[in-house]
Amino acid sequence: MAEVTWITAGGERITAEVGDGVNLMEAAVANRVPGIVGECGGGMMCATCHVYVESDHRTGEPGPIEADLLDFADAPRRDGSRLSCQISARPELDGITVEVPPAW
Amino acid sequence: MAVVDQRPTAARCPVTSGFRPFDHDGTYEFFSMARREAPVFYNEETDYWVVTKREDVLSVFKDPERFSASNVLDSLEGYPEELTRFLTDNGFTVEPVQSNTDRPRHTRIRQSAGQFLNPRRYREYEPRIRALVREYVNGLRGKDEADIVAELTHEMPARVVFMLLGVDDVDPLMIKRWALNRATMIWGKPTRQEMIDAGHELNDFFHFCKEIVEDRKWAPRDDYPSKLLELRGGDDSVLTENEIVCLVFALLLAGHEAVTNGLTISILTLLENRGTWEELVADPALIPRAIEEVLRHSTPVMTWRRRALEDVELSGVTIPAGGKVLLSLASANHDEGQYERPSDFDIHRPDARGHLSFGYGIHVCMGAPLARIEMKIVLEELINAFPGMELVKGQRPAWTKTMAHRGPQSLLVRLGGSDHG
Repeated sequence: MAEVTWITAGGERITAEVGDGVNLMEAAVANRVPGIVGECGGGMMCATCHVYVESDHRTGEPGPIEADLLDFADAPRRDGSRLSCQISARPELDGITVEVPPAW
Repeated sequence: MAVVDQRPTAARCPVTSGFRPFDHDGTYEFFSMARREAPVFYNEETDYWVVTKREDVLSVFKDPERFSASNVLDSLEGYPEELTRFLTDNGFTVEPVQSNTDRPRHTRIRQSAGQFLNPRRYREYEPRIRALVREYVNGLRGKDEADIVAELTHEMPARVVFMLLGVDDVDPLMIKRWALNRATMIWGKPTRQEMIDAGHELNDFFHFCKEIVEDRKWAPRDDYPSKLLELRGGDDSVLTENEIVCLVFALLLAGHEAVTNGLTISILTLLENRGTWEELVADPALIPRAIEEVLRHSTPVMTWRRRALEDVELSGVTIPAGGKVLLSLASANHDEGQYERPSDFDIHRPDARGHLSFGYGIHVCMGAPLARIEMKIVLEELINAFPGMELVKGQRPAWTKTMAHRGPQSLLVRLGGSDHG
């Protein structure tokens, strides 16, 4: 279980408890976080669950396929860019904050 | 509340009797009632269980273990035996490779195809697509009136597919005819003779794809078939040569029927909502938003299919093992549970992009980013060149009548005098 906070492009903070193993894209969609679509369902085809993870590196680095997609996500890639479908909730992520880029 | 759980009852249900799968007039009104009264119902005419609510459609897409994709491209009518024999005798070795395969085969093939069919590659084609669109737009300049289908949206997407295939010496109209034939064979209601004629053309089409792959074996280029051959590296466990031919065949079909309709419907919808058109003229940065709302509001691919592998309950209705399932994407995109005032066209709604027009999950459309690029470029160029464009009044264009694809077959516009170009 981890408490996750999304900061939307509009500045709204949405916080939810996310069960271990649930990825942050699914959790965002379940909590109707604007800007997270996840249309490929975690298949790493669409980059519509792009987030910026705040500066600490608890989530690790993107893998090669993920990195390719991030280069061409709608919002520019920058430090901390991840596809949130590739981050699964676990206790050490408790309190994590991720920023959601503008949806368009 | 007319919950339907048995076929004989379903056949008498007013909801099912109002379902006209091949005629898209009034379809949204029908589905609005269906979502209220019988969100999952059995349709006898087609032998499909029709799923209308967004949550249910989504849960089917998310559950490839219990819902097979094997029937996605099945012919609704079935082939006459004479045609099956002809195809077998003529080396027509089409096998399922993408949309109509299940795991693990699907994963293996999709991973290879995704090495080329991905957003990064598509972006590289953007300048060439823009140049192509400008060619068509320049052809419209100086005219008062034009049929936007005949002069732009029909042919252009086929030429984008040619770019991916590295083909430059083929009449795009031939590909369009082949693709329309194929769509009619799958989703339409052709007569026996029409089916046989279309099947003969389909065979030509398949052999055309075979020739492309054969050619790239000896003279590789920077294109999709060459990339697939490179990935294969002679190893059947990666991809067989026949699978590569089938991937090329699939791309030629998938790449433009839906895009043609998506483009035409976008232009139609925006011109019908003049205020929005003017907004885009003033601020073209809103175009991507407008595209998502068009895809939600006026879905070009109305339905998609699955087959239940075991008994599954959805909205209180049990779909039996083996049951054929028709997912109404158009209905899901108008579900009141997700969208406020779903029949309003509003490019400022916050959640338009949650539409299911490209599917969802492991089979989500691989061409979606390319379709979005094409739609964006066409709208940008048209709006820039003809900001005063308007619909010719009083026209009633014919719409394609298949169970999946939906789009006007012509669209007359007045181009307007104020040319920024």
